[in-house]
Amino acid sequence: MKKMLALLMAAMLAFSALPVLADSPVEISILFEGCNVTDDAAVLEKLNPYLAEKIGVTIKPVWGTWGNFDDLAFNAVTTGSDEYDILFTCSWTKNEYAPYARKGAYVRLDDPDDNLLAEYGKELTEVLPALLFEGAMTEGPDGQKGIYAVPGFKDFATMNTWDVNVTLLEKYGYTLDDVVSAGFYGWGDIFAAVKAGEEADGRVFYPFIFEGAVAERNVIGTPIVTGDANSLLSYYMNVEDVSVPGVYGNTFVNKYATPEFEKFVRQMRAYYEAGYIDPAVAIGETATDAWRNAQNTANYLISSEVSLYGYEFTTSEQRGIQVAYVMTTDAPYIDNTSVQGAMMAISANSAHPEEAMKFLNLLNTDPYVMTLLNYGVEGIHYNLNEKGEVEFVADARSTYSPWTNGVGNVTLLPPQKGQGADFQEKFAEFYSGSKKLPIYGFTFDTKPVENEIAAVANVKEAYALSLFTGAVDPETALPELLAKLDAAGMQKIVDEANAQLNAFFGN
Amino acid sequence: MTAVSKRMAHSFRLNQVSRKAEAAFHLVLGLFSLACIVPFLFVIIISFSAEDSIRRIGYSFVPAAWSTDAYRQVLSLGDALWHSYFNSFFITIVGTLVSVTMCVMYAYPLFRRDYRFRSFFSFLSFFTMIFGGGLIPTYIVCKNLLHMSNNYYALIVPMLVSPFNIIIMRTFFQTSVPFDLIEAATIDGSGEYSTLIRIILPIVKPGIATVSLLTALAYWNEWFLCLLYVTQRELYPLQYLLMEMQRNAEFLARNSSMIGAAGADAIRTLPSQTMRMAVVVFIVLPIACAYPFFQRYVVAGLTIGSVKG
Amino acid sequence: MKRGAGIPGGAKKTFWLTTMMLPATIWLLLIRYLPMFGIMMSFLEYKLPNRKMPFPVNLLHSPWVGLDNFSFLFTGESLNMIRNTLGYNALWIVLGLVISVTFAIMMSEITRKFMAKTYQTLMFFPYFLSWVVVAYFLFAFLDPTNGMIVRAQKSAGGAVIDWYNTPVYWPFILTICSIWKNTGYSTVLYLSAITGIDRSQYEAAAVDGAAKWQQTLHVTLPHLKPMIIILLIMNVGKIFNADFGLFWSVPMNSAPLFPVTQVVDTYVYRAYKSTGNVGMSTAAGFLQNLVGFVCIMAANAIVRRLDPDSSLF
Repeated sequence: MKKMLALLMAAMLAFSALPVLADSPVEISILFEGCNVTDDAAVLEKLNPYLAEKIGVTIKPVWGTWGNFDDLAFNAVTTGSDEYDILFTCSWTKNEYAPYARKGAYVRLDDPDDNLLAEYGKELTEVLPALLFEGAMTEGPDGQKGIYAVPGFKDFATMNTWDVNVTLLEKYGYTLDDVVSAGFYGWGDIFAAVKAGEEADGRVFYPFIFEGAVAERNVIGTPIVTGDANSLLSYYMNVEDVSVPGVYGNTFVNKYATPEFEKFVRQMRAYYEAGYIDPAVAIGETATDAWRNAQNTANYLISSEVSLYGYEFTTSEQRGIQVAYVMTTDAPYIDNTSVQGAMMAISANSAHPEEAMKFLNLLNTDPYVMTLLNYGVEGIHYNLNEKGEVEFVADARSTYSPWTNGVGNVTLLPPQKGQGADFQEKFAEFYSGSKKLPIYGFTFDTKPVENEIAAVANVKEAYALSLFTGAVDPETALPELLAKLDAAGMQKIVDEANAQLNAFFGN
Repeated sequence: MTAVSKRMAHSFRLNQVSRKAEAAFHLVLGLFSLACIVPFLFVIIISFSAEDSIRRIGYSFVPAAWSTDAYRQVLSLGDALWHSYFNSFFITIVGTLVSVTMCVMYAYPLFRRDYRFRSFFSFLSFFTMIFGGGLIPTYIVCKNLLHMSNNYYALIVPMLVSPFNIIIMRTFFQTSVPFDLIEAATIDGSGEYSTLIRIILPIVKPGIATVSLLTALAYWNEWFLCLLYVTQRELYPLQYLLMEMQRNAEFLARNSSMIGAAGADAIRTLPSQTMRMAVVVFIVLPIACAYPFFQRYVVAGLTIGSVKG
Repeated sequence: MKRGAGIPGGAKKTFWLTTMMLPATIWLLLIRYLPMFGIMMSFLEYKLPNRKMPFPVNLLHSPWVGLDNFSFLFTGESLNMIRNTLGYNALWIVLGLVISVTFAIMMSEITRKFMAKTYQTLMFFPYFLSWVVVAYFLFAFLDPTNGMIVRAQKSAGGAVIDWYNTPVYWPFILTICSIWKNTGYSTVLYLSAITGIDRSQYEAAAVDGAAKWQQTLHVTLPHLKPMIIILLIMNVGKIFNADFGLFWSVPMNSAPLFPVTQVVDTYVYRAYKSTGNVGMSTAAGFLQNLVGFVCIMAANAIVRRLDPDSSLF
């Protein structure tokens, strides 16, 4: 009996010792978001041996979807779980970069005492543009600025545009120039003519179908202020030259209290009452469906889009019309939102931060790893045509399609069908012409005014979309909104933001 | 009708309400029942409507064109669909069996006025109906302490006990079990468990049927546990498959201006409205089939009760 | 000493009955009571756990902020949502009770049991459906461009109602939705209580010359009383909690409807979404619990004074 016990003990010891054997690779668990992956066996079968050999790591991806985007990382971070070594993070939605970094959820990558980036991420720092790291700088739990995540190398500048259905426009004798020169406030005649013509056969046609918040951004020229997740503040850009401040200088204003805003919503109201705007874009739950549906079926004249380089080729082909994107600023602008749009952070609870960094380094510099993880296995998920472009195998791709921007360095990827072999060069060239906003690098810390924000956000929510889309009369709704915002403490938020901005420029 | 003939009719109908009154009952209940079922029929019709018809004449009871595209799309989910169908059945059946057993075992002593710790245990369960620790502490206890993560436990255990069902069950004991019966059984030397199983359970069958039905429904419709504890697709119940489609759509809608053009592609590949309706049909059908079965027990309980009287 | 105390058995009986309670008791302690320490998060500025201070040690390092986390519930705007929550709940408790008891009694009196069974089956149906699905039903009728009602109004040449931008209709629409979805469920509960009633009691009453409605009054209702009271007390305990799905999904999250659709749960959710503050949402939940607790205790005390046998505890 005693012998048996001893044997058992020995066996157990041996088993528990197994994982620390020097040669076995370390398994890194990674949370990806926005993916549609049901079968990753083929990819991992190729990827893991490669990774094990190169850096002594294997990966265990967890494929988050859009549906649990808000929850997986949030749960892991708030409960201090160690189930993920690497977490997707970004400056929007609940898995926010800046607040979590400040609360200590992520490992600082450029920690002077333990500089993971310098030690294991050298190639990575050489490949990614310096301005990306600049935008990834944020305050840590110690109040010092540092890099807490590897920013994704993607379309890192924002292009707010009007999406114009040129085919329809030309059918009624107008040109793209007419739309551009008339501007938002002068589209009435064009809308009237096209609506009358399209409705001649008795159907209902709405020429102007857009996303409320983006339309406001387009007309007034206000970028998203990082940290202001509820869109309460406006910073006025100079749309002629986005690298210098606009009419209000380097200050934040209450978005809803400016004469520019009032003029905008009055015009929207006029368009709405004339029947140019689809009422469905004013209802929270149906807005996106209606807007995207109209675009996809080419059932619109002018719409809105946060676009990217080369997108008109894709959409023109998909919709069977000629699509043009009219940029509303002089150049794509670089702001924190676009730079921090998709990042990979190492969890502060990870037992293997070094290995995690090694993997991130490889993911952002090795085309084989990036392509495999993103597009799948050549011959199974995609094939290369004679031009070296990727053509997907629809069936296999439907069980393996991660969200490209949410994975890593997209410039390592081979071009897709129709993009041309030199797509990545053109892409890079285009974005090298983008300009930094004067407030680039600023993040609004909402902590000091959290109570006001909770109340103000509820007030704002009740009015914003309806005003943006003209569904309510600004004559009565706007003063009401302003009075309620005032009562809920809006001014305190604006003052706090400006104080922080002053401190930012003072530094 | 004269007073006499009324009384005649009354006695002929063996202590029933008058025909007029019954007709009125039929009218009220019938109309309400119709209102309850029509929207579901509407969903079925929508799920069989052609997308093109919806675009042209909107949702209609008489679509311009029919189509089985939605169902073809659902069936093309293949293994994912059948896995989740199996999971839903497994979770519902196992969960209901365990949960109802625990519920009856907890409710029975609560009904026994002669049980010493009755008020303590009453309070222990009812208190949790009002007070809870909130989502995050519960999540931590379940995940870190009880290791509910990517397994069936996570989908079953957190819903095992419902104080509400305990109350219902206790009330059933109170209204239908005569106390003398227990007294008599105990004097005859029957143990507590055998009294419960042999004598009490047959009497409270309608109650058990009701509680089982409620529990099974709760398990069948549950998706939030899956969102919290499960990331492996092989473990998804059917309800979550639908919720995920819904939540995907909602998320993309809320954040489209942030995801930009990449989101446009994701939105384009989302399941269509008709497909979501078809999944609803897939979810509701098994319940619709199982419900009459449960109902038979409720009715059976009814007859037992009246025969005994 | 109550009746039944005469059952022999003593310690042995108590032991066996206690073993019956064990499984559920262990569950309650682990999954309901253990997490209750989380209530303290309502009063803390929550610090994230990490390797050096895992949960729950991080709670000790989170600074105490007193009632700060509660203040967002008491700004100018919140009065409206508190009114909505209490108003809708009070109305629906009364309406739901009257309708489902009436329906249950009607069903029990129907001679053709097959029909009663059919009604019951059909009425329970909406209870299966999630609010998201219900929202789509409604939208199919009220959609501003394609909805059935809107189309009908258009073809009749009448004015088209902009349903999702006109708050006045929504108290009625929400009430109808709530009754529509929940009546079948509570009717089944009451009906199964009615089926438990001894038929001979009705016959005895009939022999005494009681008309049918008198029998309902003197036999059925007294028998339903325990269940009515229990369901009432429990609903009163939830008077400060709203059915989130109903108020969120059914009005399609349409902003102009907020004056009549904003309730505590949606308000807290929107605030939570905008701040991501765990302390604030825990605080709101705690306050809801507290209000519910006070209400339930009050209701129970009243019941105990009127009718000790029916009280919950």
